[in-house]
Amino acid sequence: MPGPYEYGVWLICTLLEAAVVVSAIGKHSLRRYPFLILFMALSCTVSVGRYSVLRHWGQRSPEYMYFYYYSDALLVIGVYFAVLNLYSLVFDEMKVERYLRWGAILLLGGTAWFSYAVVQQSAHKILTNFAYELSQNLYFVGLVLTYLLWGAILKLRETRARLVQLVLALGVSFSAFAANYALLNLYPRLIEFRYIQYITPLLGCILPAAWAFCFLRVHEEAKLVPARLATAVTR
Amino acid sequence: MSRKLTVVLLAMLILAGAMGLKTLVTSHGSDSVITAFGGAPPPLPPAN
Repeated sequence: MPGPYEYGVWLICTLLEAAVVVSAIGKHSLRRYPFLILFMALSCTVSVGRYSVLRHWGQRSPEYMYFYYYSDALLVIGVYFAVLNLYSLVFDEMKVERYLRWGAILLLGGTAWFSYAVVQQSAHKILTNFAYELSQNLYFVGLVLTYLLWGAILKLRETRARLVQLVLALGVSFSAFAANYALLNLYPRLIEFRYIQYITPLLGCILPAAWAFCFLRVHEEAKLVPARLATAVTR
Repeated sequence: MSRKLTVVLLAMLILAGAMGLKTLVTSHGSDSVITAFGGAPPPLPPAN
């Protein structure tokens, strides 16, 4: 069972997610960022559900495992649509919404097909394995899409400060989780160090904290100085 | 037509890149799972 530190970080993370939803709605950003806010609201609701299941059944119970992986698949689909929301905002002046929509459907379908192809050999629990595989695969698709979006932002010299910071926060969060996972797999003995055990739960707070700050402090009309982005490209 | 084919090609490239990255990151796979979002403690991965 998780200790007080893990519960504390989890609570902070959930409160930050609620803060993103409240601040975004309060700043009238619901129409502009519907999928980002939907994803944060979903994440907040899932956290409450997971806590309830965890308290009732325990961390090693099959009930918690099923709830965790099915809700994780939902969350990753949610973040996938949040990334697409950011894509449509970055490319809104190029009138390519139709192609973005088709590309998104194709990519989601391709990932689902690939995930099914991996798990179809499983004799049992095929749906659970599919949900697990889909969430893992879609996670990496989201990671690549975020890197590409950041590349497009640099190339197009995007100056909308809030949009740039939302994408950057997503990229940092995705990368931090992937790097942490890769490090722990490469060096399993790292888990014995106490600071790693403290850092891992904190990674979940990066995205809601950065987005809450962004919606609260960065105005929708705020612009970045283009030279800053150009400098970032040439370095 | 060429734009539609470009979309298909890009989607396939992204999928291939993502799966390549996943293979790279998880090549020394253990029992740990990559947690997507939120601070909930992860359970064990489902057995095949």
